Amino acid sequence: MKIITIIKQVPDAEARLHPAEEGIDLDGVTFVIDGMDEYGVEEALRLREQGFDAEIIAVALGPQRYEEAIRTALALGADRAIHIETDTVLDPITQAKVLSNLVSEEEAELVFVGGKQADWDSAALGPALAEALGWPHSDWTTKLDIGAGTLTVTHDTDEGQEDLSLPLPAVITTQQGLNEPRYPTLPNIMKAKRKELKKLPLDQWGGVQAKTAVVGEAIQVRERLNRVIEGDPVEAARELVRLLREEAKVL
Amino acid sequence: MVRHVREFAQAEIAPLAPQLDRKPSFPWKTLKMMGELGLLGILTPEAYGGAGLDMLSYVVLLEEISAADASHGTIMSVTNGLPQQLLLKYGSEAQRQRYLPKLASGEWVGSFCLSEPHCGSDAAAMTTRAKKVDGGYLLSGTKAWITSGGEAQLYLVLAKTEPSAGARGVSCFAVEKTEGMVFGKPEEKLGQHAAVTTTLTFDRCFVPEENLVGSEGQGFSMAMASLDSGRIGIAALAVGIARAAFEAARDYAGEREAFGRPIREFQGISFKLADMVTKLEAARLLTHRAAWQQDRARRVTREASMAKLFASEAAAEITHHAVQIFGGYGYSKDYPVERYFRDARVTEIYEGTSEIQRVVIGRQIFKERVR
Amino acid sequence: MIVVVAEHAGGKLRKSTLELVTVARRLASGLKSEITGLVMGSDVSPVADELARFVPKVVVAQDPELAEMRAEPLTTVITGLCKQVEARAVLVAASRSGLSYSPRVALRLDAPLLEDVTSVEVEGDQLVATRFSYLSRVTETVRALTWPVVMSVKPNLFPVAQAGTPGLAEQMRPSWGESDLRVQVGEKQTGQGGRVALEEADVVVAGGRGLGSAEGFAALVEPLADQLSAGVASTRAVVDAGWRTYAEQVGQTGKTVAPKLYLALGVSGAVQHLSGMNRSTIVAAINKDADAPIFKVADYGIVGDVHAVVPALRAALKELE
Repeated sequence: MKIITIIKQVPDAEARLHPAEEGIDLDGVTFVIDGMDEYGVEEALRLREQGFDAEIIAVALGPQRYEEAIRTALALGADRAIHIETDTVLDPITQAKVLSNLVSEEEAELVFVGGKQADWDSAALGPALAEALGWPHSDWTTKLDIGAGTLTVTHDTDEGQEDLSLPLPAVITTQQGLNEPRYPTLPNIMKAKRKELKKLPLDQWGGVQAKTAVVGEAIQVRERLNRVIEGDPVEAARELVRLLREEAKVL
Repeated sequence: MVRHVREFAQAEIAPLAPQLDRKPSFPWKTLKMMGELGLLGILTPEAYGGAGLDMLSYVVLLEEISAADASHGTIMSVTNGLPQQLLLKYGSEAQRQRYLPKLASGEWVGSFCLSEPHCGSDAAAMTTRAKKVDGGYLLSGTKAWITSGGEAQLYLVLAKTEPSAGARGVSCFAVEKTEGMVFGKPEEKLGQHAAVTTTLTFDRCFVPEENLVGSEGQGFSMAMASLDSGRIGIAALAVGIARAAFEAARDYAGEREAFGRPIREFQGISFKLADMVTKLEAARLLTHRAAWQQDRARRVTREASMAKLFASEAAAEITHHAVQIFGGYGYSKDYPVERYFRDARVTEIYEGTSEIQRVVIGRQIFKERVR
Repeated sequence: MIVVVAEHAGGKLRKSTLELVTVARRLASGLKSEITGLVMGSDVSPVADELARFVPKVVVAQDPELAEMRAEPLTTVITGLCKQVEARAVLVAASRSGLSYSPRVALRLDAPLLEDVTSVEVEGDQLVATRFSYLSRVTETVRALTWPVVMSVKPNLFPVAQAGTPGLAEQMRPSWGESDLRVQVGEKQTGQGGRVALEEADVVVAGGRGLGSAEGFAALVEPLADQLSAGVASTRAVVDAGWRTYAEQVGQTGKTVAPKLYLALGVSGAVQHLSGMNRSTIVAAINKDADAPIFKVADYGIVGDVHAVVPALRAALKELE
């Protein structure tokens, strides 16, 4: 069985973002594999280590710089990678359509997608990809067991958690708690350099038309009062309550 | 590669450093993780379970680990640099098969026993004795400053098989931790508390014949030959500590305000930071050059000593300035720089003091006709 | 037509649905459209009646298969209605479930998706929305390039709609395709213990490692949250330590909240946590470390031991009552 894990490369959470003339300036920002995607790679590796016969393919759709994140997935243990390389910024719905062609062509049966992308704060790709493929999906997945043609999962809901069972093929979106991703070993980092990384053009399966366009980006810094309340605990607590009530009017 | 190891070191090791400094314990858990990643057998070929990388990769990675915690750096440099290197170069195939996979994977930690209570850099003056008996040797004597003493499972021990022959009477033994070995209580040190250091006393401790590494009388020249790479390792370790101190000082100078502006805007601070980073970079380049030359099988005695001398003194200076930039907080255990300051100090001492490095460099000037 | 997809729990509309009505009313004039509410479930007549007080028309899809929140059957009902009424816009709450089915709806309608939006306007003949990106540090403006548009709306930002002229409810009979019912729902666990849902809470009390232990968390955070009718939030460190359940986690890998007041107790303020709460209207923090990053994003801060300050705070709040 083939397992595909979708990889994104995003700014490091600690990175400082700077405003640019248009949008934000990502120059000098450190980019890393999206932490959410690492859960997917790890889960695929664990399925294989449990004795499940699987080829793991890391797939990415994005600019040239994504290569580093793809190499990380290979260093973690993915067998090969496919990079649909493009500078065109595409919304998740359009990305899902493009990626569904690739998933079908590879005849993969299980696809992992990061639960929420750390650059666009989007959770749409996984469900949209499942829809494009005509597959079921589980989102915000925190536990996964694979049986004969069926997945049993636990996932987060608005109220808490619930168990689902869904037939394969399926899309799984990941979440913290699913597993604890490993670090790549030095020998695997070296081997990753020699693993296959296939490049495909965006129009491999025909023309692509985005559904939305980002027309502006602004760094949001909410001005905070930064007021430190002095005094002993009792005085300070009283003053805080007063300020929250009379000044901030939130109580 | 560096990025991955930095991520690991900062996430898994750095948060433990303050605790390990105050309540020292041998960091087995993180060492096992390092072993799994290949960080404890970097130079050992893959055939023996190592990562099979070169010296330049080794120093770059050792800097990362040392920047997170110097104690981890010291344990890492000893087990990578000494036992594994000696066994690779001089050990029998059986010794390599038996020990290298265990050491490279971190299942075992390796240590090296050269110094004695009354002699360090003057290794030829050692008194530990290995007496030939049927099927092996009986070791007697006391070794000092054993990194990972009591924790390590394998000790490469230098002892005299021929007491009258001076340096040429010294042999090297691979000694597995056994009952005939008595470890002293851990030394109370200025820094690097988790890199436990003890004495080790042998009382007629039997070592089988097949655990002699190399041949009888070869021990001293083996030890001397391993010094170059050991010194490059300490240079990398010093660079790691210095980098951590510089980065802490740089960030603090951007945050801390005095007289209404960040202190980095004062020339007194920014000049200091400029000097620190320049020294840091110079130390790193000397270290990388020595490693790079060793990878090309060149003799690096002078380069290794220069890197070690410069990097360790730079680390002492940079950590000193870092404490100064932090002001009162620099003197407090709530901030990491006082630990960097203490951790750095020993890099001027172990693997040959700064004085010894100067002796070596001075000698090499005339040997190599350095212009 | 503008379709508002209702969410409900315990036989009542969720607050987020009434926020959607507010958004729909604002868009209705610009789009020259009417509003239709859609209620889905197994036994939802009371909810439909409730929604009919706010919108002129309510479509009720009642079916045993809709008893559980499953993305595929919901998508089938929503897209079926949208095609039938020629919807121009579909409004969904950006809850976990809304975020789960709205991408499917968009794909099936071949429509753009405006996800987790914080404001939306009609501009010319297009919809333009703002939303957060880069871990809530950036506000981006997104234009939908075609019609219809599917939109998930961030909860707790828009005012709740007032009741209008009562509308009419009509039934709709869903029919299922083979693939709609293949996902089976098993056991459920609910967190929060009857407290207000975190994303919908006006006040959130958050606890971090500074509380010392699971017991310390329970003893300080919970009573204060109850006193304030607040939701309880945790940092990742607290969840990782096993003190609290993941359902309470706020931050990059947890929930994103924007309450009127976010009260952080013993929270250091790691950037990953800040991304889940930095849109709160007012932030107050109590931490004994004066250099904790949380104070940089706080409006009010008390440098002190939570174990001393929180009881004092509870006493001060009691005086108020």
